[in-house]
Amino acid sequence: MGDESVPYLLGEGTTKTYQIPISHLDYKFIEKCTDVKHLEKILRVLRSGEEGCYPELTLVCEKRIESLDPRSRALRKDKPAATAADFTAEEWEAINSELTSWLTEINEDDKKSQFLRTDTLNERQDNLPPVRCSSSCLPTNQNKRLQNKQRSKKNIPRDYSEWDKFDVEEECSKIDEDCEESNSKARFFSRPSLPIIEKKIDTTGMTKREKIFIATREKEKGNEAFATGDYVEAVTYYTRSISVMPTAAAYNNKAQAEIKLQDWDSALQDCEKVLDMEPGNIKALMRRATVHSHLQNYQTAIEDLNKVLSVEPENSKAKKSLLEIEKKLKGLKPVSEPQGKGKKILIQEIEDSGNGEGRGENTEEWERRGGHQGSAAAAAARAAGGEPAMGNAHRKAHGRGGGKAHDRDTHKQKDSAEGALKKGASEKKSEKQLSDHEGEVNGYLRSDEKSESAEAEISKSRGEGSQSAGGDSSTSLPPAAAKLKSQGNELFKSGQFGEAVLKYSEAIECVTGLGEQSPDDLSILYSNRAACYLKEGNCSDCIQDCNRALELQPYSLKPLLRRAMANESMERYRQAYIDYKTVLQIDSSIQAAKDSANRITRTLIDQDGPSWREKLPPIPVVPVAAQLHRWDEGSLTSENKPSSIDINREESQMNREEAIEKFKRLKNEGNDFVKAGEYEEAANKYSECMKLNTEECTVYTNRALCYLKLYKYEEAKQDCDHVLQIEDSNVKAFYRRALAYKGLQNYQASIDDFNKVLLIDPNVLEAQKELEEVTQLLHLDSGAGAGSQQAQGKKITIQEVSDEQEERQFAAEDAETAHVPEREKLRVWEPSNAYDFGQIVNAVNASGAGPS
Amino acid sequence: MSAAVGAERPQVVSHVQQALSYTVFDCRWVPRSARLLCLGSAARGTGIIQLYELHGARLELLREIEKPKPIKCGTFGATSLQQRFLATGDFDGNLNIWNLEAPELPVYSVKGHKEIINSIDGVGGLGIGEGAPEIVTGSRDGTVKVWDPRQKDTPVANMEPVQGESKRDCWTVAFGNAYNQEERVVCAGYDNGDIKLFDLKTMSLRWETNIKNGVCSVEFDRKDINMNKLVATSLEGKFHVFDMRTQHPTKGFASVSEKAQKSTIWQVRHLPQNRDVFMTSGGSGSLHLWKYEYPAQRSKKDSEGSEMGVAGSVSLLQNVTLSTQPISSLDWSPDKKGLCVCGAFDQTVRVLIVTKLNKI
Repeated sequence: MGDESVPYLLGEGTTKTYQIPISHLDYKFIEKCTDVKHLEKILRVLRSGEEGCYPELTLVCEKRIESLDPRSRALRKDKPAATAADFTAEEWEAINSELTSWLTEINEDDKKSQFLRTDTLNERQDNLPPVRCSSSCLPTNQNKRLQNKQRSKKNIPRDYSEWDKFDVEEECSKIDEDCEESNSKARFFSRPSLPIIEKKIDTTGMTKREKIFIATREKEKGNEAFATGDYVEAVTYYTRSISVMPTAAAYNNKAQAEIKLQDWDSALQDCEKVLDMEPGNIKALMRRATVHSHLQNYQTAIEDLNKVLSVEPENSKAKKSLLEIEKKLKGLKPVSEPQGKGKKILIQEIEDSGNGEGRGENTEEWERRGGHQGSAAAAAARAAGGEPAMGNAHRKAHGRGGGKAHDRDTHKQKDSAEGALKKGASEKKSEKQLSDHEGEVNGYLRSDEKSESAEAEISKSRGEGSQSAGGDSSTSLPPAAAKLKSQGNELFKSGQFGEAVLKYSEAIECVTGLGEQSPDDLSILYSNRAACYLKEGNCSDCIQDCNRALELQPYSLKPLLRRAMANESMERYRQAYIDYKTVLQIDSSIQAAKDSANRITRTLIDQDGPSWREKLPPIPVVPVAAQLHRWDEGSLTSENKPSSIDINREESQMNREEAIEKFKRLKNEGNDFVKAGEYEEAANKYSECMKLNTEECTVYTNRALCYLKLYKYEEAKQDCDHVLQIEDSNVKAFYRRALAYKGLQNYQASIDDFNKVLLIDPNVLEAQKELEEVTQLLHLDSGAGAGSQQAQGKKITIQEVSDEQEERQFAAEDAETAHVPEREKLRVWEPSNAYDFGQIVNAVNASGAGPS
Repeated sequence: MSAAVGAERPQVVSHVQQALSYTVFDCRWVPRSARLLCLGSAARGTGIIQLYELHGARLELLREIEKPKPIKCGTFGATSLQQRFLATGDFDGNLNIWNLEAPELPVYSVKGHKEIINSIDGVGGLGIGEGAPEIVTGSRDGTVKVWDPRQKDTPVANMEPVQGESKRDCWTVAFGNAYNQEERVVCAGYDNGDIKLFDLKTMSLRWETNIKNGVCSVEFDRKDINMNKLVATSLEGKFHVFDMRTQHPTKGFASVSEKAQKSTIWQVRHLPQNRDVFMTSGGSGSLHLWKYEYPAQRSKKDSEGSEMGVAGSVSLLQNVTLSTQPISSLDWSPDKKGLCVCGAFDQTVRVLIVTKLNKI
């Protein structure tokens, strides 16, 4: 309490009310006192005048309270209404003239509208909704209960007892039911009962004045909603306002609300409408600039801002955003300059992977994605130079969970294709530069990704695939047809889809002409031709062939998937959805099908609303026999791999894929063990990897790392030597060999290797440190024999630390990718609809399945 | 109070004062015009409707209509912008709709209640509120009835206490939530402090609460939006603002209360052009202009995960004292922002101008 700090003066009493010491009724005390409650009491005493009348002191006290708490109730005084004296002459003038002009305006209008009446009245009446409870019944088909009740006791007054019978739980369950009925969409909305507000207002028979009135009011409602942050609602009300009378202000405000909702396209349209109506509208220009900058049209954004600044040179907001955008533009420069080049390369890459050459490559790509989702990606997967970009694009598109990218993608697929390529290119660039996996997501090459990953997926799950392997069944083909087929396969792989189609067609003719009953082979041929058609973009023929293939061989994966993709490209989402779902029934592990199904779910929700499921044709039930079960990985060992090579290309390819698959799995397991610190196990895994592929350097360097950790320096050195034979400038290998030498106390060799490391990359700090360390050790070693014990101990700890760091730096591409899913998981958000939910489920599945 | 602060705030200017020869219970602006209506009770026990037009700084009496029963309340809420028929409730429980051009006979008339109609509200007209035009009346007989002017004699909905339950005097009614053709709620306030919210779509009692003192006036901030806020004023000088967006299964709606003055708050009226500004009129002849400020987050999850609302705060923008007698009625002009009329028991009707409402 502030008052306690002031000493009581002798002989002075307290006030009658509140018992405040008289001394507190003092300028000095009031100036110092910070206790509002106490001051309020003082003020009341002063105002009451019971201790005498001190107008000055009262004023001071009021001011003090106001400065401490401007909202204090004690400050509220009865005040008379303001009069002219409370305003300046101009203000008073303004108030009066405003009223007068309004009065004349409204009176004129009022008289005019007298004539316009009556004739439209009946028309209006017809538009009205029916009387509540009347037998014609409300159009509230949503609420059957209400109608029933009304029918049973029509127009009978109701009483409280009925109101009281209102059972909250029952009502809630009712609402739940409704939600169930109207499908999952509502359930996933954050606000389950998003109000349905008509977007248009019936304006029949309204005079212009009335329309203005209504339009203004709707706009005000929009403004209020905007102020409280209900942007969706705000947009609705602005739309209503516009439906009555399009005004620049309403469009402008709507644009602002849409910017808040990040609905850039609509915002852009609305800004443009404003600028059509009022060219040079500053707000609209500012807003358009914002939109453009978010759409990354920096140049256009800058133009808009410059227009603003030419009108209002002092507009600080415009200046600020101009600076920001220029900064962004500069940041992009190094990327945007070689954009043309990057673009070309990328297109080429797409073609490369598009021609299906080596499905193994696709598989690898697929694996990279899988790696992102669940396990560490193999460096080997980066065979082709541009592949990281592709893989990256895949990953982004999926990792994002779809939202905007997919939306935009589906709607603007064509015109955004090029933009996507560009973005992809820049993405790739940044990827290379930073090797950062968290770049901004804007590249999505969906169409390619879709088909590629799906292809890869098929191949992957082929193991027991009845039709696709073709290994055994191909023998049943007549030799001519078999030849044609393999020619077709070759052509397909080299990207000559047109020719491949011809070959396959010949093969089909050959088979059917012979009249031999080999539905399996025929089905494969059709399926293969379908793949060609799909690649060519000839979706309808693709679907036809898939249908034929499926007639011959129901529930085979490839034709189903291909048909699904074709249907999806033709925007026949329902059929596509059915096919994907069927595929998933057969093999639930096909990630591409899952992703696509989810994507389509989203599209269907957008298209058909919450009841989209009802519009679906029935999904065929796949007999259990046709369902594939995840193959038992343990049963496949590397030994049986090379046994059946080269009879049939396809099969060898499959085996290669298998090998790669297994290789990667083993490697990932190894990586996991490294992370867990179980180097022994890890080394074993890597050793197994080597049986499959002796060319893969990373496995050796990784095993070397394990050996280092296990103090098996000799083995580590051997591994590094092996790597350096294959790749004479592998930094990791040099570095690890240096460490191995160090462990072997061959300091001179160690120093040599460290120097080589630094020669290749002078920025490796660890190498520098180690070099110093080892140089010291060398001196010590030559100098002191007694201190060796200490040096030993020290050496080990250093090694630990440095290894840790080295691991971090060098194994970046291995380890980083493994960390991505964790980050992904952390970012898992509350699902807001069925689509998001599906995405999350997929992500979880994928990460769960990855490392196994 | 320093001049600087005063200049920023809205000021309430008493533009016109018009002395009346009768007790005014309600006053209303005629939509789309500069005319206003005063409804009341003449000394000899008859009802009076006076139509005034604002001419500069004076009110010109255009028409005076006398009816047999004193008129307690009136509304234009359920009429079209073209027709502008006035619906009134009188001391005898009659609901009448008048064509002011031809007021001799009512366009619609029903003996709706056994006792005085204390309060009336309309929706679906004037372009405010989607759906059918409807009128709700609240009476001393304890019932709240909803009427459709197209249906004679019987209400379309009736909310009354069960037999045996003591009747409460319904002092105030208001429509809300009429943002589409199906949704609509009626809120009623009673002399014992009960507030009941009836959902006309589901025909159920959606929510009820008690604010301890008699509820003099309730109003939604807007009738034609997904219900947002409700203000309820009380006999003892307090008013409550409920955030109507989030209803908690057990706790209902979040609210903030504020004590405006020591005497009864007779009326609350939201500014038609800005739903977050409202004026209360008090028993001591004072007017308070308030602004509601939303919290950063309007809803939060409770421990069980149910959504519950978070109330904001109310700040006083301005207060004036116009009379020593209660100001019983208050109405903002729907057409001119800041123009306002109020009727007091000192038999005076005042036209007020509230300035600087744009700057809030």
